Amino acid sequence: MRRVVFPLFSAILFLTLQATLLMSFPIQRIRPDIVLILTLYLGLLYPPVSGGILAFFIGYLMDLFSGNSFGLYTFSRPFIFYAAQFFRGWFYLKGFLFQFLFVFISCLLEGLLILFLLSSLNLPSLPNFFHSFFTFLLPQSVFTGLIAPLFFFLLDKGSVLIFKQKVRLTERG
Amino acid sequence: MSLRVKQREGIAFFDALTMEFCSPFQKGTTFIIKTIDGVFQKYFFLVHLQRENEMLKQRIIELQAENHQMKEMALDNERLRKLLQFKEKISAPMIAAEVIGQDPTSWFKSVTVNKGEKDGVRKGMAVISPEGVVGQILKTSPRYSTILLITDYNSAIDAIVQRTRAKAIVEGKGENRCQLKYLLRTEEVTVGDIVMTSGLGGNFPKGLKVGEIRNVEKKGHGIFQYAELTPGVDLTKLEEVFIIVESLSLPQKEEEKKLEKTPDKSRKKR
Repeated sequence: MRRVVFPLFSAILFLTLQATLLMSFPIQRIRPDIVLILTLYLGLLYPPVSGGILAFFIGYLMDLFSGNSFGLYTFSRPFIFYAAQFFRGWFYLKGFLFQFLFVFISCLLEGLLILFLLSSLNLPSLPNFFHSFFTFLLPQSVFTGLIAPLFFFLLDKGSVLIFKQKVRLTERG
Repeated sequence: MSLRVKQREGIAFFDALTMEFCSPFQKGTTFIIKTIDGVFQKYFFLVHLQRENEMLKQRIIELQAENHQMKEMALDNERLRKLLQFKEKISAPMIAAEVIGQDPTSWFKSVTVNKGEKDGVRKGMAVISPEGVVGQILKTSPRYSTILLITDYNSAIDAIVQRTRAKAIVEGKGENRCQLKYLLRTEEVTVGDIVMTSGLGGNFPKGLKVGEIRNVEKKGHGIFQYAELTPGVDLTKLEEVFIIVESLSLPQKEEEKKLEKTPDKSRKKR
């Protein structure tokens, strides 16, 4: 039960922070996606079924509080979760650089997926791909990647405090 | 007493010598005592001064915080007064709402407000502020609502250019920018023209400021020209908004209902 409640409350907390505190960032384009970091954390440590449901719920929360009426994040977050599950064995996740790269690539991947879905929906005033990629998606992915090790560490600490979990992400090879 | 002084005259020299010998010691001791006393007094004074200094610094911080709070209150007061004046100007019934959160994603532009269905808010209602159009209600819950801002890619509002009365559609372009679409090429639109709501969409009252044209492009072919505008409202700094709780289409419906109820009278009039 605690293994579900902890990420659930973390998701609500992270979403609240993202919608309020991080909005005060002077440059909106570099606002990191901390909810994505949580989804990736779940992808690395949680089982496919419960983690997948949590990722779906996180995506649903994102869609609920955004101006998006297509359910893009309800689709993309479980996708990113399972991608993280699939590739977690390929990454050596101890250390800043690897965690940064893992989150950076995931953020970029999700952004490209959303751009693809948005262009598939044929929104009339959508900006062109290169403009979105270089002025917005790339800087945001870099900053999300940069703060990811700190959040992984905090989530690890939270997990240890709440359910005495011995295997932690920052200790994994 | 004078007798005793007279008796001591004989030994005056010895007294004077002793005094001359001892006094420097006394003087020295007194000097040392005074110096030590002075040092201690200065030390205690400094300690006291330090405490007083810390206390004063603390007081300055408190006063500064109070000052900021007062300034904030004054600004709030001014902003609310403007909102009140604006509310009095607009005849449509409106409710004020406070922005409690922004869009958690970076692709879409929306805000969450603290008024919902219980307050009479419904999907599609227009949201405005004294500076102009903000957006429309996208989602509602009993106590909260999400507003789709005019800068979102999914937003479209029927509008007219104030000076030329040219009709167009204002679409969101992200990042505090909008674009004018379906603006006829024959229309003479220039930078600085004000774009207003046309009132044709049914949600927004006519004559509300949408924004100001910043760029006009006439491409080589086609029947339309392209114009970019900046919204009248700074949507990145939204704090309070007004929701027009009565849709403009409502009175028409009511009129229709009245006509249905009294068909004979209306026929007679015709």
